[in-house]
Amino acid sequence: MAQETNKIAYYPGCSLNSTAIDFNISITKLLKVLGIGFKEIEDWNCCGTTPAHHTNEELSATLSARNLLLADKMGYDEILCPCVSCYNKLSHAAKMLNTSFSEMNPFEQEKKQQLVSDLKEMGFELKDSYGFKIYSILNYLFEKKELIRQKYLEISQTSGYNKSSLLAKIAPACYYGCALLRSNKLLKFDDIENPNSMEILLKDIGITSKSFQFKTECCGAIMSLTHKDLVLKLSKDILEMAYDCKANCIVVFCQLCQQNLDLRQSQINRYFKTEYKIPVLYLTQILGLALGLSEREVMLDKLFVSPNI
Amino acid sequence: MNNKNIDYGKIKNNLQNYIEPNIYYCCQCGKCSAGCPAVDLYDFKPHQVISLIQSNRIDEIVNSSAIWLCLECDICSNRCPENISIAAIMNYLRVSTWQKNTKKVKNISIFYKLFVRIVQFFGRSYEPGLILGLNIGTGRFLNDFDIAVDILKKRKIKVLPEFVKGRKKISKATKKYL
Repeated sequence: MAQETNKIAYYPGCSLNSTAIDFNISITKLLKVLGIGFKEIEDWNCCGTTPAHHTNEELSATLSARNLLLADKMGYDEILCPCVSCYNKLSHAAKMLNTSFSEMNPFEQEKKQQLVSDLKEMGFELKDSYGFKIYSILNYLFEKKELIRQKYLEISQTSGYNKSSLLAKIAPACYYGCALLRSNKLLKFDDIENPNSMEILLKDIGITSKSFQFKTECCGAIMSLTHKDLVLKLSKDILEMAYDCKANCIVVFCQLCQQNLDLRQSQINRYFKTEYKIPVLYLTQILGLALGLSEREVMLDKLFVSPNI
Repeated sequence: MNNKNIDYGKIKNNLQNYIEPNIYYCCQCGKCSAGCPAVDLYDFKPHQVISLIQSNRIDEIVNSSAIWLCLECDICSNRCPENISIAAIMNYLRVSTWQKNTKKVKNISIFYKLFVRIVQFFGRSYEPGLILGLNIGTGRFLNDFDIAVDILKKRKIKVLPEFVKGRKKISKATKKYL
């Protein structure tokens, strides 16, 4: 039974295969260290993210549902979806597939009808309802926190263990971003305004986080491509608050937040004439380091602001 | 040019029956607008949008920029004392009028269309093509040139696109939407 629960389908999503490759690699390495069996969904496609969701809900549902049915074909109904945007879209599609027609109102039935006919057009056979469960990376790691704690105790007591010098020095501000915890009332595993699951995970590996007021402020996310001024301002406020809280790094689990805070930090400095230099690390990179992975293995070299504190 | 071909009656009907039956409970406290990160850019603020819907003036919202600038961070819905899903209302106003709306914010409309076309063609997103296409489409050729250099130096982007095997089926089934 224990083995059953440690198996999950993995849906990386487009940006984790490209501009957030460090996030992807640190997740897969961390899962291996933890002994969790995972399999990437074969031939997965883009979920359509915000552009599809904001223009046509049926389009978004069809693109996302294809991935779920591919996972189902491989024999999985639990899917790990680290990208927060993909997580929201896949959860939405899962909700539609999980609910049978009889439990829906006429408005939802019409939508599901369309989804079913699209999926049939793509050559899928459909059941009336499914049991899909979608996990975000934070939710998944939080459920496995006992496993992480035990692994850490085990590994840190072996003779060859070298605690990464970075971990001894960091005093992080945990930044959750807006999209995960507030997503359409889908996920309720932590407080909306003042979450602390990341703090708990970090405490278990001996890191004390700073108290941080902007935990769930929005960084502007995908608007960075169309309304850069707004995103630079929102992201600057977050960096400024991290400084005010005396944190020396920011920990995130969303690649959009990471890009806006890390990649665009140099842009923010030019734009607002500031001199911020605060590294923005992924939660999985820090956990990976604590569980004995090297800085190279978790791809710290891919960060734009150097993590030498 | 205003939007004339949109069926506002149907939108209103769906809003109050299915999307947010609580819509008439709004007491205009303004907590949604106070928390909204993009509120400075809106011509109607979130609480004003709700008020306009209540007074059957949906056409004014559809002609405004507010619905296109919503980041869907959902802080409005979560802070609402009457539990009204404001972000869901914004999204419904967007999707139900996308096809016929002539007052879309230009950059966002170009971006969304380009992104969906790329996904329909490759099956996955292709970031270099997206950024390049967006800069050409919006006429801001050197936008983000500085960070593009940083990204290339770190080799943190896939230069060649990835193709999904089922892309033709995806394209065929979703072509009707956009």
